[in-house]
Amino acid sequence: MVFLKLGFCASFSERYKLEKEQSTEPPPSVMTSLPDDVIIDILARIPRCDYPILSLVSKHFRSLVSWPEIYVRRSLLGCTEHCLYFVLCDRDNYDNRLYILRRKAKGNSRLVLIPSLPALPRGGSYVAVGSRIYVFGGVNKDRTTSAVTIDCRSHTAQPLPSIPMPMYNTVADIIDGRIYLIGNSDCGDDPKKVMVVFNTETQTSEEPATIKADIELRDTYYHGCVMMADKLYMRDDDNSFVYAPEENKWETDEMLNLMKWNNACVDDQVLYFFDCGENNLRRYDPKKRCWGVVNGEWFGRVVG
Amino acid sequence: MSKKNIVLKSSNGIIFEVEEAVALQSETIPYMIEDDCANDTIPLANVTGDILALVIEYCKKHVVVADGDGGGSSSSSQEDLKNWDAQFMNDLDQSKIFNLLLAADFLNIKTLFDLTCQFVADTMIKGKSVEEVRRTLNIEKDYTSEEEAKARQENEWAFK
Repeated sequence: MVFLKLGFCASFSERYKLEKEQSTEPPPSVMTSLPDDVIIDILARIPRCDYPILSLVSKHFRSLVSWPEIYVRRSLLGCTEHCLYFVLCDRDNYDNRLYILRRKAKGNSRLVLIPSLPALPRGGSYVAVGSRIYVFGGVNKDRTTSAVTIDCRSHTAQPLPSIPMPMYNTVADIIDGRIYLIGNSDCGDDPKKVMVVFNTETQTSEEPATIKADIELRDTYYHGCVMMADKLYMRDDDNSFVYAPEENKWETDEMLNLMKWNNACVDDQVLYFFDCGENNLRRYDPKKRCWGVVNGEWFGRVVG
Repeated sequence: MSKKNIVLKSSNGIIFEVEEAVALQSETIPYMIEDDCANDTIPLANVTGDILALVIEYCKKHVVVADGDGGGSSSSSQEDLKNWDAQFMNDLDQSKIFNLLLAADFLNIKTLFDLTCQFVADTMIKGKSVEEVRRTLNIEKDYTSEEEAKARQENEWAFK
């Protein structure tokens, strides 16, 4: 206890002795003569979209807004923000690039290319986890086993260990820190539906497993994958499946398969998708195992 | 019940006598009392008299007074306090704001530290252009033209 108190006094007196000495001559800027952790506390309260502006103010500010510490402080202060990213394909060279939705106060939102990020494989599977986006597989020239993680704070990409085999028609989602990548393996003449699990804590892939469901699986295309109540729900050309990682069990879900659902999203443990044929929004409640239609007024027509 | 007073001395020798509850909003002062840094007077070598007066004004306004039920309640309503805080900060010049920020950090008064940090963020930085931030905070440009062009290119998305 005594030691702690001594440490406390020493660090403060040293720090403010320094401040005092500096203040005998008029500093160029009071702001930049503040201790870095105090400046961080101020900058953490600025919206994330202003950080590029801050990084141009001075080299000192630039280094501060690139510190991971500022994001820790933002979390503590509750200053986190949601950002929307889009992957768009360039028609000229077929490069898939990441864009961010830049929202402006007056409502003139636009999609802006993030130039610091490389082109990403076509048809890869994307999973957002906290401030990171994971990208698995897809096609560059050939099917790739590459995996990368994108840090949305610094807009940089880091390679991850490759997935164990080339896969195609992949879908992915995350449960409890583990990303489940499900697709068709590209090994020889006998394509199989396989699953690779990526542990986001250890940043490693686990051994791939061939999927054994209660019916015979064909080499068909996946139309969607969503996560509800710690289970994965997906649909291929023939069936809708449910996978429960805790039990490591695959089952078909005939009720879910009544609709040819795709491009679905989940809110409050209910699946929603837009049925382009009927032009209505459908919902599936996995607890009650029933489909419904969301009534409401449509603003404009959605074309699938 | 008699109220205990604490005597604080600023770096330029100005003495302030305040109620204990007012002073104890600082988490640093209890350590100084325990450490017996001072017999009766607590010297605050990093805080000048004019800034200490502001700190005390803030702490008096925010002091939590014990009520009859044994609980605690603020001397003012939350809404009143918020308006008072805004007016308090608006009346200060930039130099006083930064010195108050340093004093709040040194004295470890969390609410005052948050208030000043947020005020600096909102009024001197948020939503301003690069040049406006430099001008407001009197920061000299330390980039060469080439370095600035490169940095601007890397962050192009934010300027569209």
